[in-house]
Amino acid sequence: MNPLRTRGPVEAEKHSIQVALVGNPNTGKSTIFNRLTGLRQRIANYPGVTVDRKSGRMKVAECEIEVVDLPGAYSLTAISHDERVVMDVLGGRRNMQRPDLLVFVLDATNLKRNLFLVSQAAELGLPTLIALNQMDAAHHNGIRIDSARLSRRLGVPVIETVGSSGRGLAELKGAIVEALESPCFLPRIAWPACISNGCVMLRDGICTLGCAEISDAEILRVLFDRESVYTEQVQEKTQLRELILEVHKGIRSSGLSPGSAEAVLHYRHIEALLEGVIESSGPIARSRESIDRILLHRVWGTLIFLGVMYAIFQSLYTWSGPAMDLVETGTGWAQSVASGLLAGAPVLQSLVCNGILAGVGGVLVFLPQILLLFFFISLLEDSGYVARAAFLMDKLFSWCGLNGKSFVPLLSGYACAIPGVMAARTIEDPKARLTTILMTPFMSCSARLPVYILLIGTFVEPVYGPYVAGATLFVMHFVGAAVALPLAWVLNRFILRIKPLPFILEMPDYRLPVLRNVVHRMWERGREFVIRAGTVILAISIIVWALLYFPHQESVATQAEAEFVQAQSKQRPAVEIEEALKDPDSAISQSLFNHVGAAYIEQSFLGRFGKTVQPVFDPAGFDWKITVGVLSSFPAREVIIATMGIIYDLGSDVDEGSSDLRTVLKNERWTSGSRLGEPVYTLPVVFAIMVFFALCMQCGATVAIIAKELNWWWATASFVGMTVLAWVAAVAVFQSGRLITTFFS
Amino acid sequence: MHTLEMLTPGMSARIATIESDCGQAGRLSSLGFVPGQWVKVIRLAPLGDPLTAEIDGQQISLRRSEARLIGLHPGGDPS
Repeated sequence: MNPLRTRGPVEAEKHSIQVALVGNPNTGKSTIFNRLTGLRQRIANYPGVTVDRKSGRMKVAECEIEVVDLPGAYSLTAISHDERVVMDVLGGRRNMQRPDLLVFVLDATNLKRNLFLVSQAAELGLPTLIALNQMDAAHHNGIRIDSARLSRRLGVPVIETVGSSGRGLAELKGAIVEALESPCFLPRIAWPACISNGCVMLRDGICTLGCAEISDAEILRVLFDRESVYTEQVQEKTQLRELILEVHKGIRSSGLSPGSAEAVLHYRHIEALLEGVIESSGPIARSRESIDRILLHRVWGTLIFLGVMYAIFQSLYTWSGPAMDLVETGTGWAQSVASGLLAGAPVLQSLVCNGILAGVGGVLVFLPQILLLFFFISLLEDSGYVARAAFLMDKLFSWCGLNGKSFVPLLSGYACAIPGVMAARTIEDPKARLTTILMTPFMSCSARLPVYILLIGTFVEPVYGPYVAGATLFVMHFVGAAVALPLAWVLNRFILRIKPLPFILEMPDYRLPVLRNVVHRMWERGREFVIRAGTVILAISIIVWALLYFPHQESVATQAEAEFVQAQSKQRPAVEIEEALKDPDSAISQSLFNHVGAAYIEQSFLGRFGKTVQPVFDPAGFDWKITVGVLSSFPAREVIIATMGIIYDLGSDVDEGSSDLRTVLKNERWTSGSRLGEPVYTLPVVFAIMVFFALCMQCGATVAIIAKELNWWWATASFVGMTVLAWVAAVAVFQSGRLITTFFS
Repeated sequence: MHTLEMLTPGMSARIATIESDCGQAGRLSSLGFVPGQWVKVIRLAPLGDPLTAEIDGQQISLRRSEARLIGLHPGGDPS
């Protein structure tokens, strides 16, 4: 039983010494973890679930110890994924390494409830150490704890700590090493006969029913939890249920209720443990009550909430602007440098500039918003406001299966879906989290804005004036949300078969956020995004570049040039054209260049594909150029403006305000089909395009981040689902719009 | 049967039962909602749901649908 000494160096490599941090949510566990491991951390997922497995290395007295930060859990009843993971790790299930030492991080201001998990975990028989954290807050609240006496009662070391200031951390490290050398164990609760006999009976029964191995702690879970995962191998479910009911009957006949017996007995045990350990100098007026009175007030609380959210949104929208511009300028600079260096190799030049560098820029451009959002989220979470905000807003979202914590992700989605999807991690309930992630891409992100501005500015404003244009822009911002919330309701009601978690929320004390933690969290999230989602975004960027570039036959350029010269010769003498073409900066040379660019895109794989699938988009009123524009903007919707520029012979250097682009769009007419000669961009088409953009997931980065936060199955499902939905809506808008216009004309 | 849902802010009562036929019971009892404990409703959210209850010095918010699972002894104590 001495992992530090008995293991030789070879063995230590295979099985490193592992210490697990366990505790309720909001106990400052992560702060302690950061203090113990510094920045030597690794984040991965536990097998099968998207629960972060955070581990890091701690070096004490020449030995390396792996520290694992287990997700916060209130009990071992595996209600949430987080709790399931805790129970699996502690039980060594699913090929997970059983920790060599448990370090419980307990909130000293709420010791009784925190000890519930400890009391349950005692059944596991693992070496244990207790860190009594937030001693400063306990002291401030007038709570005195005799930790020496508590340690004697529990039979394990109890170390007082203050995670935020680092007080007691050195002692904790020392105690960890000492506990690994001479382990201490918690006393198990003395169960009454009806339960201990019931457990024996249940174990025998389960063994005969074909469950190979089950520990004492797991037997208790089978007995007390409504549905337990530890009896999955048992085939005869009804027999098992009868067996459990029989044990329950025994418990009931000794005057206990099987539903609450476990909690009642644990709390009785804890109360006995705490007798004379805790001294509270009466209920002192807590500052939280007076803050709550304002922050949770019917009127003021709501107003403050809206103000806070508005401030976050505004800063995401505007503060990230300069940083994003910087990324874009940097990308442009790198592109021009690379372009100059690779001028001799046109394919490589285009790959590096338009594929790789554009992709890298496309990843980095999201970083400012992600960092800013997680800065705010850390402040809100660490201060204790997130629980209050969720309390205020819950009713607004509960009807459609979301909950109060969905507000921040959805609101962030209005700036950008990527930080929004990442922010959904704050939602514990897997069902609400899944739904929130799926709904976030519907929120009108800032990349949709250029499309709206171009189309509304070109086709609505000149005809109906600025007020109608403004109102249209406003309405377009709510199209996504108006579709998303009812969709969430349908998903929750009929499709998703996940058990929702109860919305039971601890209202923690207000605390001053620690800058160290805030920065740490920003760094963690930013790094994660770049490493995990960034690679996928880059890959998508390169694939779409290839589809838009190849086959790139020389003959296309030759033919386009001949066509161009022929068209020009109708307007001016051939000599003049020849003369102008010699100067690469002349207007004619520029438009030849743009014309060749358009011909290449038309002949590219994506261009040909767009022409082939145009009939699919025909019911929405899209011609092949719009179709290619829409298809090429699947990696990132804002790309459509540049693609349109290329397709319409204007080059890629156009923006949503470009008057050339606006004029071309207005004059564009059908060149074939039943609508020959009619303008392409009628109002029904314009609205069909905008609705398509509002609902479609044209964002490779969002697909990548959903795949990372959930899995590829959900990423694909939401991509396909949103695309189909967008198509249906665009067709509906175009067809009904056409009916209305013919009716009125 | 009296339930926590029926208390108005400021009122308190002693817990008699926790409806255990649904998955929520485990979470409630692990947070300290056990028979015999005193519970007090502190406030309602602006839209009437959820509510915040105080138990053992800690404040917990729960939806009405969950408060309904907590049965109370009749006759509260205005503490």
